[in-house]
Amino acid sequence: MTETAQALRDKTAIVGVGLKMGKYSDNTALELAVQCYQEALDDAGLERGDVDGIIQLAYGYDYDRFLEAVGTDVRYAYQGWSHGRFIAPMLQHAAMAVATGMAKAVAIVHGRRRKAYGQTADAEMWRQGLGPHGESPAYGAMGPVFGAAIAAQRYFHMYGGGNEDLAPIAMAFRKHARLNPNAMRRDPMTREDYLNSRWIIEPLRLFDCCQNNDGGACIIITSAERAKDCKKPPVYISGMQGVHAGRQFHNLTLPGLGVAQQEVYKYKPTREDLYAYQMAGITHKDVDALITYDAFSPLVLFGLERFGFCGPGEAREFVKNGRIELGGELPINTSGGLLSEGHMIGWNLFIEVARQLRHECGERQVKDAEIIQFGSFLGESVIFRR
Amino acid sequence: MSLQAQSKMIDEQGRYLPFIYPEEIPFWEATRQRQLKLQRCSDCHKVWYPIGSNCPHCFSMNWEWAVMSGRGVLHNYVVMHKAWTKWFESRVPYAIVQVELEEGARLTTNLLDCKLADIKIGMPVEACYEDISPEITLLQFRPRKG
Ligand SMILES: [Zn+2]
Repeated sequence: MTETAQALRDKTAIVGVGLKMGKYSDNTALELAVQCYQEALDDAGLERGDVDGIIQLAYGYDYDRFLEAVGTDVRYAYQGWSHGRFIAPMLQHAAMAVATGMAKAVAIVHGRRRKAYGQTADAEMWRQGLGPHGESPAYGAMGPVFGAAIAAQRYFHMYGGGNEDLAPIAMAFRKHARLNPNAMRRDPMTREDYLNSRWIIEPLRLFDCCQNNDGGACIIITSAERAKDCKKPPVYISGMQGVHAGRQFHNLTLPGLGVAQQEVYKYKPTREDLYAYQMAGITHKDVDALITYDAFSPLVLFGLERFGFCGPGEAREFVKNGRIELGGELPINTSGGLLSEGHMIGWNLFIEVARQLRHECGERQVKDAEIIQFGSFLGESVIFRR
Repeated sequence: MSLQAQSKMIDEQGRYLPFIYPEEIPFWEATRQRQLKLQRCSDCHKVWYPIGSNCPHCFSMNWEWAVMSGRGVLHNYVVMHKAWTKWFESRVPYAIVQVELEEGARLTTNLLDCKLADIKIGMPVEACYEDISPEITLLQFRPRKG
């Protein structure tokens, strides 16, 4: 273990969170972001003057407008591309800014009014050399779901199985959402309901896709030392690793599946692929719950295999028989995830981690949760402990 | 009319057109001639896609447009059921495929002249062409016999 790997272990913590999801047709994205910021400051027991860093994804208003609105000057501002794949790197930037003394407390803020701006994917599908999910509009290949569908098809081709293998994922997360009073989709879902939901892009159905909604989110990160004086128990950031990118990591897939220009091989993580565990000083066996980016259900299979929770092609068996449900061996997306809780560009996934590790999740609490991993199919990960 | 870099994104019927970037013009000029041309590296002799300024295999800037065999195998496919615009309503369900060319690169197109039930990963396919406007011809693939 190198010094570098341990340098950031438990040096920073999440101390405040705020989240709103639903239909907010009378609000602007900026208002929603400000409301969540106030909620998170309150949650942390901090004042706006305590925050000297701001990070956000571009979506309809920008960092400068937000700061103007909340009347705060900061010494660390950063704004990123509005895709779920970049939420973990943004949280990592916040932690690194705090750990290196560039800021004392960083607020990650987000506000979103979907109908007001349309989907970023609608413009990005025209990008040169295929869209960010492999879109090619002239061939009728549209939407982020296209990227998940082509990856799922290759997975089933290489390892067997088919669409019905995704049912346990959609059903497990719906079960979790039903224990979450803030979840957007709370109707019960049977296997029949799942199999009767309409095709969107075969092999994916409606219930394999997340829904979109309005809302906002805020997460405040500060040093472990300052965190002790905040209102709620600190949620420490113990380990992390970035989004892996390049030809072998085409969205939304797992290395080796042969999507677009990817090579075809059975992916197994190497030591280098699991840096976050080394930084945190744990293995995947220490993880009490996994939170993974689930805009589409196959991404859960990919997340499991990406971090070696099971071997290549084994995830479709792994997710069966309640193993990923609350009370199972590895509960996943305990809030209902993007599939059933809602989609706040994924920030709600990190907020669920914080709430679980503070043990404030009521009926959906993972018993005695100590360590939770956020880890997704592109290799991005943050490991948290209480 | 000669082909120019264009950014018209949808035709009168609501069909999406390709967004043609300047460095892609030779590709689209070739499809009008019912030829599949991709860039081939003059140093490592490999072919690539998407179209770009250099060889992604060896990073060479020496390359030329080369005519491909047009033969390949169906490497992947999905079936689109959701109609994105009015134009697609009469077209769903349709297949979107990724074809691996004999030369190695993979291309995303539709599969013509094939029932959805007959589509199989690994089936041999060949290039064909679909005129969608006086200026633009789409590269497509269809099943290849023998
Ligand atoms: Zn080359």
